[in-house]
Amino acid sequence: MSDDHGDSEYMEEGSEAGYDSEGGYSSGDGFGGYSGDEAEASSPMAKSNKKTFVVLDREELRDRLKGAVAQVVDLLCISDAEATRALRFYKWDLGKLQEEWFTDPDAVRTKVGLVDEQPGTRRAEETCKICFESYAVADMAAARCKHYYCKDCWRGYVHNAVQSGPSCLDLRCPDPECKAAVPRSVIMATADEQHKQRYEEFAVNSFVDDQRQIAWCPAPDCQNAALSLSDRLGVAQDIFCRCGAAFCFNCKEEAHRPVDCETVRQWMIKNSAESENLNWILANTKPCPKCTRPIEKNQGCMHMTCSQCKHEFCWLCTGPWAEHGERTGGFYNCNRFKKAVEKGEVDEQEQKRQHARQSLERYMHYWQRWAENDSSRKKALQQVDKFRNEQAEILGERTATPTSQLKFVTDAWMQVVHCRRILKWTYSIAYYTFEESAGASKEQRDRMAQHQEFFEFNQGQAEHYLEKLHHKVEKDLSKFLKGKPAPDADGEPSGSGEGGAAEEASSSGAGGSGAGGSGDQAAWNTFREQLIGLTDVTRLHFEKLVNEFEKGLDAALKEYDAPMEDAVSVAAKAGVAADAEATAAAAAAAAKGKAAAAAAPSRRVTRSSKRRQGGPGDDEATAMEEAAGFWQCRHCTFANQDMDATDCDVCGQPRRGAAR
Amino acid sequence: MASKRISKELQDLQKDPPTSCSAGPAGDDLFHWQATIMGPGDSPYSGGVFFVTIHFPPDYPFKPPKVQFQTKVYHPNINSQGSICLDILKEQWSPALTISKVLLSICSLLTDPNPDDPLVPEIAHIYKTDRSRYEETAREWTRKYAMG
Repeated sequence: MSDDHGDSEYMEEGSEAGYDSEGGYSSGDGFGGYSGDEAEASSPMAKSNKKTFVVLDREELRDRLKGAVAQVVDLLCISDAEATRALRFYKWDLGKLQEEWFTDPDAVRTKVGLVDEQPGTRRAEETCKICFESYAVADMAAARCKHYYCKDCWRGYVHNAVQSGPSCLDLRCPDPECKAAVPRSVIMATADEQHKQRYEEFAVNSFVDDQRQIAWCPAPDCQNAALSLSDRLGVAQDIFCRCGAAFCFNCKEEAHRPVDCETVRQWMIKNSAESENLNWILANTKPCPKCTRPIEKNQGCMHMTCSQCKHEFCWLCTGPWAEHGERTGGFYNCNRFKKAVEKGEVDEQEQKRQHARQSLERYMHYWQRWAENDSSRKKALQQVDKFRNEQAEILGERTATPTSQLKFVTDAWMQVVHCRRILKWTYSIAYYTFEESAGASKEQRDRMAQHQEFFEFNQGQAEHYLEKLHHKVEKDLSKFLKGKPAPDADGEPSGSGEGGAAEEASSSGAGGSGAGGSGDQAAWNTFREQLIGLTDVTRLHFEKLVNEFEKGLDAALKEYDAPMEDAVSVAAKAGVAADAEATAAAAAAAAKGKAAAAAAPSRRVTRSSKRRQGGPGDDEATAMEEAAGFWQCRHCTFANQDMDATDCDVCGQPRRGAAR
Repeated sequence: MASKRISKELQDLQKDPPTSCSAGPAGDDLFHWQATIMGPGDSPYSGGVFFVTIHFPPDYPFKPPKVQFQTKVYHPNINSQGSICLDILKEQWSPALTISKVLLSICSLLTDPNPDDPLVPEIAHIYKTDRSRYEETAREWTRKYAMG
């Protein structure tokens, strides 16, 4: 144990994993100006819920330590030094110390080394029991036991103890028979600056190391610690440090909710084991699927446009981007893993080979998506810095907005960072959850397939919104940075299934460029509203996603299915809103199941398969909406409560089919 | 500091020598001593004279001295290299201890071995299960290595 407080552990795991985990953290070093509230507010989970942790820097830790000591001094009527000693002995557990103290104070005193103050010597001189020289008592020091030693010998004794590590905090009188604790005052009076400082550092470290509720931030060079306010220690808890690092309180890995710590551990081991095989994947380029020119991905969003042939494609699946919209019915489906189905006669050797290849391919599929999202996250993190340091000022000038009011852009970027991280970890869940075991029955397989569909739909949805947000904050914002909003800027998904904010932004921009400055302002205002709305929606969606995945797929599926089945059957039987009472009851049931916005897209998954089988059409969709008591915006997924509204409350997009 | 303290200890040893041991510098080097310990009368080491080397570290007395038997001893806490397993020579060392106290502790270790914290588990086992065999072997080793 030393003052490295667990850095090494983190770095070890990071390097084992074969990816540059420091990269993300170190780029966060520029966040020095972050105030605590800002850092905590920018965590995606902290906004709506109450605080679950507090980040403390060294100064604050020292204050907390002092506070804890002062409390004991008041409570037990003992000296400052004694209180510190006693608290450390009881691992800063005030309750336990208090309990034992009031049961048997003498036993505690003996254990901790608190002795009654002895009368001082009456002689003017004493012999130091270490160097055997005589000194004037004024030049000597003693603990409460009044065993005198000269200051030189004290210094040697203290320095030696400090050099041997944090155990110096338990230093006792040099007399072999004496157990008296050496108070901090003696150490401060005898040791040199350097050793005093180390002693104080050890004291703060002990305050963190010995308490289960406090943990160091594992980022290199970060001296902060996090105090967990959660009453469930021992499970994954995401901490967002002021230094920009996001880590798990429990396992000190990078923050990884909704994945549990054990899965993360396995995944990291797996990554390090497979890294040899996958080195070639690390190549940063992919050939353009159309013109085969090599393309380097230098921005975070998955929507790629070949600079030469202008072909638009998805970086993940290299399929055309046009197929990635909602209108084309495909949704964002490149998060799905399709196992190649092999038919016909294959000999055993071939089967084995194929199996091996498939399992590697399967792993690669998930790993690749995990790694891509990770690098996207890192790039986004750099963007946050860039925006803060360079772009904010320019943007402020161009749009006549005070920089203090541009925080929503940083928020959006931070949201992208957080979401990329969450999304990244969902791929490790998927890898472990949907592994086909050889002996699985048909029933088990069916259930897994159902789970997988549900999971991938949710994941795909999340990815979809995140891409949208990422696109907006990256590409759309750049137009305002360049000067005036160019309506036909490249990188716009022309006529693609997006149908969304991007088009809206550029069209209003087009109107604006004619009208001059005020039009620009209007475009800017629209952009701002949309970005804020989209950030909120994305945050909510991911928040839900994390909670759902943590609950487990079985529970989540049940929760969605039950109220929906009720609502639909009731609505179908009774006709649309024919029986107001029944509909109200169904709506109540639905609301009970899940009342929040992000729940809605997930609900549609079970429906969507039926629809494909020639099931309910738009009519029934409207019936479902009415039964559920809200309608979900197809643009931003917000669950609008106002059933008569024709535009979404959050993004202002028209509600399709509202005229019906 | 260290040499001053060592000289002090040497003076004290010469002024008031302990009954069963003696100690002093082996040559010109004040930090390298040689000591002798008489086998305690109430132990199987009785009659033997055991030679011990003492090395003082530069930061003595804040670090313990290194003490090693030169004479072979059959004892659960002393191995064939002459290393001694004694708490005050390790984590229980205190700068208020002296060589004279250390030598006395070694004498009492000869009389009362500590088989629960052994350096040589085989000897500790025999000590615990067959005391007379242990005493016999210890006496024999003393006769062989520590007399004459």
